Amino acid sequence: MLSHLVLGTTNSLYLGDMLFFALVFVLLMWAIKVVAWGPVTKMMKERADRISNDIDSAEKSRQDAEKLAQKREEALKNSHAEASTIVSNAKDNGAKQREQIVASAQQEAQSLKQNAQKDIEQERKDALKGAQNDVASLSIEIASKIIQKELNAQDQKQLIDSYIEGLGKQNESR
Amino acid sequence: MSGDSVSTFQFLGLTFNTTNIISGLLAAIIVLVVVFLFSRNLKLKPTGKQNVLEWLIDFTNNIVRGSVTNGDAPDFGLYAFTLFLFIFVSNQLGLFLQIGWNGVTYVRSPTSDPIVTLTFSLITLMLAHFSGVKKLGFKKYFKESYLTPFTFWLPISVFTELIDFLTLGLRIYGVIFSGEMLLKIIGEMAFSGGIGMTIVAIPIAFIWQGFSLFLGSIQAYVFVTLTSVYISQQIQTEE
Repeated sequence: MLSHLVLGTTNSLYLGDMLFFALVFVLLMWAIKVVAWGPVTKMMKERADRISNDIDSAEKSRQDAEKLAQKREEALKNSHAEASTIVSNAKDNGAKQREQIVASAQQEAQSLKQNAQKDIEQERKDALKGAQNDVASLSIEIASKIIQKELNAQDQKQLIDSYIEGLGKQNESR
Repeated sequence: MSGDSVSTFQFLGLTFNTTNIISGLLAAIIVLVVVFLFSRNLKLKPTGKQNVLEWLIDFTNNIVRGSVTNGDAPDFGLYAFTLFLFIFVSNQLGLFLQIGWNGVTYVRSPTSDPIVTLTFSLITLMLAHFSGVKKLGFKKYFKESYLTPFTFWLPISVFTELIDFLTLGLRIYGVIFSGEMLLKIIGEMAFSGGIGMTIVAIPIAFIWQGFSLFLGSIQAYVFVTLTSVYISQQIQTEE
């Protein structure tokens, strides 16, 4: 009745069973390793690697994006400042240029005025000089006209004679 | 079972129990076929059956990791996985399938025979001690396993190993054997007292089958857990 509770029901222990199960188990383990364990654990490891890589890359890209945003913001702020400096520079330049133009215009006007004054002076002097000359020649002419009137033929003959006499004396002495 | 005759045959001077051979082979084939089918078309993004297989692998891996420290755990993952599946299928086999012929049961749970469970117990303990020797070297292994805390602890340690071997194997045998025996008794009861008894027996058989299913799963889990505990005892030095 309870014969199966005794390990050795027959004459000998079921050593064959033990060996058989050990063998079957080892074979099963090998087969599972080849068929499923190897590929599945490899796949699981690949997945784990992939996930950790993805997490790392996501973290990295997040940091990159943050950095980029910061850079953008800075650039925006900089561009504001730059724009205002450009505008103020332009204003300064404009003011300076205006002053320059005004100054140069003033200078030019001044020099033009001076030149004109000098010319006027010169002309006045020239005119005065010309007038003086005219007066002189006129007076000389008038004088000569007056003198001519008082001279007469006798006087002229006397003058000519005296000259001719003078010439004859000179020839005799020779 | 009780009163059944046992079919044996001799091969190479060894005695084989036909029932155990057939049942064990069947269990192994079932495990292999299931695992084979579930591991087809592996993808990085798991679906359906691959999820089931990966869950099982994680489950047994976690059992091992529970007692063996991380560095050594991967070495025993495959062993725990195979052991769990084989014992699980073996435990459940007799609940669904019992084939008898001429008063001899040819297919039942292989684990309802102590020789089978003790074989697994022996394999486990051999693996544990072998790993201990491999990891620590024979001298240190011997000292850790048998001579701690005192040298004269040796007989107690040896006795403990023997007890471990017996309890590990006989625990699962007892549960599965009793489960099958009760199922058989219920089955006999169903056909003993006319239609009334059958009607009464069917729900009882259902309930007992469900309970045995639960017990068989628990026993497979316990066996693998104890296996990893024994392994960890051998390969880890006590600080």
